[in-house]
Amino acid sequence: MKTMVVGASSGLGRELATELARRKHDLVLVASGRRDLEALAADLTLRHGVAVELVALDLATAADPGARLLAALDAESALDALLLPLGMSRGHDDFSLDAAAIGELLAINLHAPLAIIHALLPRLLAAQGVIVLFGSVAAVRGRGRNVVYAAAKRALVSVYESLRQRFAPGQLRVQLYEPGFIATNLTWGMRLPMPASDPARLARQIVAGLGRGSRRRFVPARYALIAALLRGLPWALYRRMRA
Amino acid sequence: MRGYALGESHLTSFDRQFEALCRVQRPDRYRLLDALPTDVPRIPRGGGVSYVAASFGAGGVSQELGAFDRLLAFDEAAGRLTVEAGARIGDVQRFLLARGWYLAVAPGHPRASIGGCIAADVHGKNPARDGTFRSQVEAMELHAPLRGTVVASRQRNPELFEASCGGLGLTGSIARVRLKLARPPSGLVMRRVPVTSLAEAAAVLRESANARVLYGWHDGRARAFGRGVVWVGLSSDRAEGAVEDMPPRDADLPATVRALPFEVWNRAGIAAANGWLGWRWRRAGQSPESLAAALFPLNRARVYFAGFGKAGMAEAQWLVPHRRFDAFAEALADEVARSRPRITLIASKLFAGRAAGLSFDGNGVALAIQLAAPREAPQQRFLEALAGLALAHEGRPNLIKDSSLDGEVARRGIAGFDTARGQLAAHNPGGLHGSELSRRLGL
Repeated sequence: MKTMVVGASSGLGRELATELARRKHDLVLVASGRRDLEALAADLTLRHGVAVELVALDLATAADPGARLLAALDAESALDALLLPLGMSRGHDDFSLDAAAIGELLAINLHAPLAIIHALLPRLLAAQGVIVLFGSVAAVRGRGRNVVYAAAKRALVSVYESLRQRFAPGQLRVQLYEPGFIATNLTWGMRLPMPASDPARLARQIVAGLGRGSRRRFVPARYALIAALLRGLPWALYRRMRA
Repeated sequence: MRGYALGESHLTSFDRQFEALCRVQRPDRYRLLDALPTDVPRIPRGGGVSYVAASFGAGGVSQELGAFDRLLAFDEAAGRLTVEAGARIGDVQRFLLARGWYLAVAPGHPRASIGGCIAADVHGKNPARDGTFRSQVEAMELHAPLRGTVVASRQRNPELFEASCGGLGLTGSIARVRLKLARPPSGLVMRRVPVTSLAEAAAVLRESANARVLYGWHDGRARAFGRGVVWVGLSSDRAEGAVEDMPPRDADLPATVRALPFEVWNRAGIAAANGWLGWRWRRAGQSPESLAAALFPLNRARVYFAGFGKAGMAEAQWLVPHRRFDAFAEALADEVARSRPRITLIASKLFAGRAAGLSFDGNGVALAIQLAAPREAPQQRFLEALAGLALAHEGRPNLIKDSSLDGEVARRGIAGFDTARGQLAAHNPGGLHGSELSRRLGL
């Protein structure tokens, strides 16, 4: 099994890479920090005996990240799974960002996943593989905060549907996970309305589901109820939830 | 900016004698190690299990390095491991034992980080045989905002290397470490040698200096002061220390042991525990022991630590030269008979090293004395009297264990204290790195 994890150096991505290595997947790890990637690759190889390739790539500035990753794979190499737990949010994403900042958020949260999927699709189809996308509970309903981030994450729902509509389950499986708050450096120090989830636990759940069919899940599952409540909230009430 | 996102946490020393609401950074990538503005006071924090407040303090930022816990290189033939300094000693031992190696010097708490072990220059199960943690460190990489990244070893930047071993984290954040490994015994046989006094224990310790494991446990009550047993752990061909005996990570003692709502270690509790342990141990004999159990005895002590209740505990640890030890032990027995402190246990160990910097090392016998309710006036008076006795007998204090020490006692007990302080200051420009411990000791 060869699996690529994009955004692997920290947070949920690192935990996914660790869990995959524990289950003996050979890995291609992608992130911006070469030193972090090298450390993770060494650790996973030593602890679990798996082969790990790494690609240091700044997704905010890479014009064609898909081509870079395709070039990093051997010509003959199949790809069984592509996990895209990459993401970036910013403070002041409340209609205060300039064009450059908006472009950076869209590049990481939307352009990069799309470009990578496009480039690697033939390899995944050859292996009858699986693509795992990561949306966000923040995208369930538009708010005055996380404007660009949520827009990009909601666009991934559309990508998920497009892939499922285009390819039969026997050709390609597509999974979309929409996490709530996760206990990573991104949420550290924030006042959150509910406890953040353990990324290692989420990783175990997601990796355990890799062999299953296409699916869309909120993780942890309690966020499905929260999403339903948010969606069902009358507009007049929802509009008042500006905090 | 998210790069150096700060949260606030209530941090408590393991002995519960100091607690503070602290700003905490949790970097998870290398670039975030340097993300704090260069004028922000800070201190690295590993497992957060030091008895004293060595990794936090009011006013500064604790940089939690738990994400830097990866194994970087392992030379199985030569016995060398390069590892990030946030790695837990328990995890490292689990990895190594499965491959026929281990770290001979390891503290009792499996959650201590490798960086913390260096900063505290901890000792293991027989410092007279194995030395302190620095003996197995070949090189380290340190981050400091004004200095950048520097590699220090005995050959390269030796002054920084020496200052960082036992430097209490004041020379910067240790990021990576290359360690020299040892071959573990196939198994251990723990021989019990009953003793009736601390002086007798010291004699047994001296006779057994080359044992793999060597320490004494003693009753601290006035009526039975010093009575106990010396454990002599010898290598065995029987595979009693099988790797599969290593408990999983989830079984490790937590960083903070939840205190019981009541105090177990009142006089009746101490008497009952000593009576039971004496009945169980105070007879000659031997029994096989798993290496895992011998390496991490604190995993079996959760109830013991919880029993101190919210008042916590104190540990005073003094290393007394051989020629003064018997007189010290006798004076200590007299003091205990006079003041009748609530001592929960006394542990004895043999040292045969060279006192360097602020490290707890030297040539003599060390006593670790644990007390309940250290804020109560009689207990405090005993701790003061103990310090006086130890200083009078040329004792050297363990700074990383004893919350009751102040700068003056440390200066009197550690020859070269001011020199060591000056060396630390030279590697800590502007006093950027600091903790409650360094503040208390005036470092």
